[in-house]
Amino acid sequence: MKSVSNKFLVSAKGFAAYFFSGKQSVVYYSTSVVRTPYHVVDPSPWPMIMGANLWGVAAMFICWVNEISLDSLYWGIPLFVLTFYSWVRDIINEATFQGFHTEKVQSGLTLGFILFLISELMLFFSFFWAFFHSALSSSVEIGCCWPPVGLECLDWSKVPLHNTALLVASSASITLSHNYLQWGDIWVATATYIATLGLSVMFIKNQYEEYAWSSFSISDGVYGSCFFMLTGLHGLHVIGGTCGLLFCFVRMMLLQFSSEHHVALTLAIWYWHFVDIVWLGLFFIIYIWGS
Amino acid sequence: SFIRFSGKYPEHTHKNDPKAEELLSTAKFDARFQMCNQDKACWQNYVDYFRCIKKKGEDYEPCNWFKKQYQALCPGFWTERWDEQREAGAFPAKI
Repeated sequence: MKSVSNKFLVSAKGFAAYFFSGKQSVVYYSTSVVRTPYHVVDPSPWPMIMGANLWGVAAMFICWVNEISLDSLYWGIPLFVLTFYSWVRDIINEATFQGFHTEKVQSGLTLGFILFLISELMLFFSFFWAFFHSALSSSVEIGCCWPPVGLECLDWSKVPLHNTALLVASSASITLSHNYLQWGDIWVATATYIATLGLSVMFIKNQYEEYAWSSFSISDGVYGSCFFMLTGLHGLHVIGGTCGLLFCFVRMMLLQFSSEHHVALTLAIWYWHFVDIVWLGLFFIIYIWGS
Repeated sequence: SFIRFSGKYPEHTHKNDPKAEELLSTAKFDARFQMCNQDKACWQNYVDYFRCIKKKGEDYEPCNWFKKQYQALCPGFWTERWDEQREAGAFPAKI
């Protein structure tokens, strides 16, 4: 990285060049200089390689559902992990160690994540629509009532209530952890963070047990389909959210977060709150109302 | 069965002839199912007929109202399928 003196900013004639000076990207044109707080990224091979890896993932999925042998495709997984790791390592280098993530960049990342959360909300909205479509005017094949005739629903006051308590408590503890980080007390932040991770693991274990011992499956009519699509999708989001929180935990332990600047952690916490709210919707609508 | 020269219809129509009325009439309007799709009406009348018989006995005449309704509304293959399910104890409704 060159350090540039403010007074002698002379451009090379005829072409623009990018210089990075601390927290600002400076763009040179032939007649003027523009300082911009935005992050003009270096050329990087990871997006293209990730594209190729995603092809491999898609090929694996297609072979899996068509029951073609996957033996020739297993190399896709370690390559995917490697590419993901390299790309994210580059981002962390640029953000934490090179200082490219100005306020503008942070707010841009936040906006992008909010849009992503809205798209996830739409995904769940569509499955809730499907549930209400079948539940509100039950068809004759299931006996014009909901839950369908002959289906033993799960008792909401047992495991689902426990799961609700787990997720709400984990939301509270992650908020606490975030606040302690902002106040600068990293040890309590770590402790409450570990509590959050523990609660989420308990939730995942509970859901696994419910799935294993349930009296109905996804192919048991429209109730089974709606129930397992919704709770299954939610479970995948919980697992993904937990992975995100774990990743941010590692970064926190490596002291890559400051008490003001920790965008990744904030976004992971928002994702966790989203997962919690979706579970509350699931609990009240599917488990309580739908039984 | 009890409409005679009601005054609302011309003399020669079947409305004034009880026997013709019985032969030529179809399912009556049910305000609970107002739309074109009458599958719930078919199902409801089928279930109500068998609940009526179960409660009141086979010889109770007013149960036949439900029977006429469902015979007019339901497709034959639905009624046959449900009859088989009832005999097997697999019909998805509480009768």
